[in-house]
Amino acid sequence: MVNILVLMKQVFQTADLRVDRSSKTIITQGVPRVISEADKNAVEEAVRIKEKHGGKITVITLGPPEAKEALREALAMGADEACLLTDPLFEGSDAHATANVLAAAVTKILEYDLVLCGAYSEDLFAFQVGPRLAEMCNLPQITYAAKLSLENDRVIVERDLENERQVVEAKLPCLVSVVREINEPRLPTLMAIMAASKKPTTVWNAADLALGPEELGFNGSLIEILRSTVTVGERKRILLQGEAKEIASKVAKSLIQEGVLKAA
Amino acid sequence: MSEENTGVWVFSESPQLTLELLGKARSLADGLGTKTVVIAVDVVDAQNLIQHGADSVLAMSDQAFKSFQVDTFTDAFANLITEHKPDILLIGATRNGLEFAPRLAERLKTGCVTEATRLELDAEKKYLLMDRITSGGNLVETHISKSKPQMATVAKGLFTPSPPDPSRKGDVVKVEPKFKPPSTRLVETKPKPMKGVRLSDAPVIVSFGRGVRKKEDMGLVEQLAQTLRGVVACSRPIAEDLRWLPEDQYVGLSGQKVSPKLYLALGISGQIQHLTGIRNSRIIVAVNNDPKAPIFEYSDYNIVADLYEFIPALMDAVKQLGNA
Repeated sequence: MVNILVLMKQVFQTADLRVDRSSKTIITQGVPRVISEADKNAVEEAVRIKEKHGGKITVITLGPPEAKEALREALAMGADEACLLTDPLFEGSDAHATANVLAAAVTKILEYDLVLCGAYSEDLFAFQVGPRLAEMCNLPQITYAAKLSLENDRVIVERDLENERQVVEAKLPCLVSVVREINEPRLPTLMAIMAASKKPTTVWNAADLALGPEELGFNGSLIEILRSTVTVGERKRILLQGEAKEIASKVAKSLIQEGVLKAA
Repeated sequence: MSEENTGVWVFSESPQLTLELLGKARSLADGLGTKTVVIAVDVVDAQNLIQHGADSVLAMSDQAFKSFQVDTFTDAFANLITEHKPDILLIGATRNGLEFAPRLAERLKTGCVTEATRLELDAEKKYLLMDRITSGGNLVETHISKSKPQMATVAKGLFTPSPPDPSRKGDVVKVEPKFKPPSTRLVETKPKPMKGVRLSDAPVIVSFGRGVRKKEDMGLVEQLAQTLRGVVACSRPIAEDLRWLPEDQYVGLSGQKVSPKLYLALGISGQIQHLTGIRNSRIIVAVNNDPKAPIFEYSDYNIVADLYEFIPALMDAVKQLGNA
């Protein structure tokens, strides 16, 4: 029997984000919100561990009230309980302040053997919350899991590094962050989706977690964002159209002149 | 400024990345009128580091540092930093560096900007301005850290090492920071399964997307790559949805970030996710039959053509120029 906490984040489907060039803003209207990919793999891995060893899965997310949808999807995939951490005071939190709220929830839940999360979120790619939370909760951390197994009171993980796989083990409790190679998340069945609506979801705000405003949001952050600029390309954009042969020889010549191509 | 909060420190377990970070650290330290310090796990390389711009090399010679382990390194660095109080700490954004930096930052209760793309001092030289790309590549955010050390991790290939200067002098100090027994144990290392081509090292990349209609047509792309002496890559849907190529061969924000001299995008529409992975390419050539394809906004040569006609034509053209 293993008690697993899964930390997950709801993000905008990044592939659908567009930039409005005139207002220099990102258009989020109509863009679907989804579970961040690697976090979804963490949920799937938790369900597979439970299928093998038994136990209980609690999924936790920090976000706006809309993040409940993401939790519902995780419940449909096989999680047992959900926990939504939501409060206007959480807005503007950096990785440290975010990990601080999650750590407060993890500490409050108390009973866990394994904490799983994605190695990164699709929107920020900061790779920070897992290690920061592990540090706060004084847990061993094993990152980039491409394979995971449990043996008695130990977790054994294959870490996916740039040029090799490292097999690493630690005693439970432990935090493990996963990469997408670890599994293929299931699509919940209609039955599972219906059953999910009956599973319990706890909602906690700052007061429930005994967190004061000084440790939350902008005040509680260690990083300040001075400005953010919408990216606009600055490429040559030389248009070539017409007969394939002609364009091809023009391009080939130009590329050789630019020194980026050698003639065959 | 007092002796506290001075010095620009650098660490990476990758020797090449260490030199690149040192190149940047040197210019930051000159701007601040302070020293550069490299944390090394050996004294062997110290002179080389000094020639490349290090004023000081702190060598952790204990056997425990011969291979990277996050607890050991966090303990050791936290002790060294608490003692010496550097102003800035740059860490190489390898996968190990990326798990180490946030844990260390949390121990030190300081901010950390992961995979910074630009590091500059502000006008008053009070803060390190650290840019990073977010929101699927749509935003460049400029961050500052409210606390010291100001920490950032930096990926390979972003900064250039300073040319070596054999006359440079620096000091080498052996240090023995304390650490607790680690909480994880390395059982073994294995080769990566299905190892694809290393895109990060390729000078020419021939990449394709949904414009290639059938899996069999990948042969045409491979032929072109051979002619151009490049390697084949793809967009995310080709690897993740269609699974025509392994996942380490797709280019994008969540996949490989590449910086070839020449990036040829065949039938790739150009989602921001993909564009973020190719932004460091020197020249981008896009081929698409849709003149409105978003990739044309971000390319140097915009070729509106059927790629099935264009690929053979380009192979012929390159061969002809070679024979000339």
